Amino acid sequence: MMTDSPAAAARVAITGMSATSAFGRGTEPLLAGALGGQPAFGPAGRFSVQRRRAKAAAELPGNPVLADELAAVIGAACDQAGLAPPERGSATLLLALHTDAAAARGGGAPSVAGNTPAAVAARSGLPDAPRVYATACVAASTAIADAAAMIVSGRAGPVVVAAGYLVDEDSFALFDGGRVLARDGQVRPFSWGRQGLLLGDGVAAVVLESAASARRRGASPLAWLAGWGRAGDAYHVCQPCPEGSGLGLAIGAALRRAGIDPPGVGYVNANGSGTGYADASETAALRRALGAYADEVPVSSTKSVHGHALEASALLEFVLTVLVVRAGRLPVNAGYLAPDEDCRLNLVLGAAREVSCRYALSLNAAFGGASTALLVAAA
Amino acid sequence: MLARSQWPALPRTGLPPTQLPGIPGFIISSFSPLAAELAQRCLRQCFGDPPADAERGGRTAIVLASSTGDIATAAAIASAVDQGRAVPPLLFYQSNPNAVAGHIAARWGLAGPVVCTIPAGAGPSALADAMDSAALLIEGAEADAALVVLADQGGPDGDRGVAVLVGPAAWLQQTAPEGEATAVRDIGSMSGTP
Repeated sequence: MMTDSPAAAARVAITGMSATSAFGRGTEPLLAGALGGQPAFGPAGRFSVQRRRAKAAAELPGNPVLADELAAVIGAACDQAGLAPPERGSATLLLALHTDAAAARGGGAPSVAGNTPAAVAARSGLPDAPRVYATACVAASTAIADAAAMIVSGRAGPVVVAAGYLVDEDSFALFDGGRVLARDGQVRPFSWGRQGLLLGDGVAAVVLESAASARRRGASPLAWLAGWGRAGDAYHVCQPCPEGSGLGLAIGAALRRAGIDPPGVGYVNANGSGTGYADASETAALRRALGAYADEVPVSSTKSVHGHALEASALLEFVLTVLVVRAGRLPVNAGYLAPDEDCRLNLVLGAAREVSCRYALSLNAAFGGASTALLVAAA
Repeated sequence: MLARSQWPALPRTGLPPTQLPGIPGFIISSFSPLAAELAQRCLRQCFGDPPADAERGGRTAIVLASSTGDIATAAAIASAVDQGRAVPPLLFYQSNPNAVAGHIAARWGLAGPVVCTIPAGAGPSALADAMDSAALLIEGAEADAALVVLADQGGPDGDRGVAVLVGPAAWLQQTAPEGEATAVRDIGSMSGTP
């Protein structure tokens, strides 16, 4: 039930969602994969990795087409929200996408986002997206925060936020060249011996709207976006601030907006990319924002099972965080070997943990120190 | 609006040269140097020499928009992959716009949100969209001010861009010496967006 408190009035209803990952199409395989803790990584199969140092990725079988997958998740999310085709025409579409391989090869598209945005809008019956979010690993969470800001300020009715990335050769070669991919074929967030990240397919969509809009349309919230925060490190081109300043600020802002104290947070789906600097920085950010409670709050990074979906990862993880809050079971931080002194956290290890979780944080951080925190509240 | 800059700069006595200065660690593409130079010219009008004072910088967001994106970096990566060459490691770092946003943020001490977008439109409509992004941040109390950079690469007229610093009017009145305030007004009245 909504209350009259300012924090409750600023909440945003999540009324529909869908996702596709290497575990399969739909939210059920995604949740089952995360709770099962069995990573979806295998030999990268869409292109030759013979010349690459790393060899693994989390991929759907075959060669899925991004516009097809996006149209499918948007359709499913809108159906769940009860957003019928006539209503979709007046909704808002926000997209987060990676650079398009055809556009990079002079495919005649107006931008590096390629022709996917226009194709997706047309096929989904939604107006064209005003922009594509390109803020790297926080692109999709930035789109969610913008959607929430548009909704609470009355600028927008229902907003469909969609994001997609499918493992591609350009990114694999680029990340391999940057020496950030795990050569041992596993992502080991916050663990001693972690080697880096692995790419993974991720396509997701959510429908966000005000409580009043959901009531008016007769849509039942799956959960609430109770708070959001974003900030920067002001530290370095690509390295995260060791003290976790930007992410710490973002977490604090999300909690303040929701009007809750740190002990109210029952779970953190961490950015946890599995890279050395970033996991240590995120640990520092949690300590900065949550104080001593950072030792207690259960934490896992679901990138350890579905991989890093780049611009789409934050939306895949947001959807998974909503699923976790609804299921009352916390996903495993897979790939863990042994403690790292710089990453002392209450990690969910071994098996999924049963909890009653009212609030959960989904955290993301990117190059340039861009950081976001999304706070999900149970419906 | 607190300050504004554009590239290419209109011919005007005393303006720096027309070649974009490079940034250490950024190669091949002019996208990041363009964004950094636009930011530099704009921020200097309000904040003087970098960094900005901690209180104001800490509440200043960066919105980096581009109708085109960094075409040259994307093309360089694609070319290396297609020809079976190794992708230069430095391209990894500059392959998304966050890198130069991080460069600007670190140099100037801007710790507000970082938002990088590809607006659907071009020219004035792209700038208007980027300003909308900034308005969401400021009106939602996520930042007090925002550096908005629109940087477009290539095209018949070459690289073009504009940067605008929007924020509390009090910042301009309290910080800019008389000469700089005049310069801000002059530049602010320049016509033309990319």
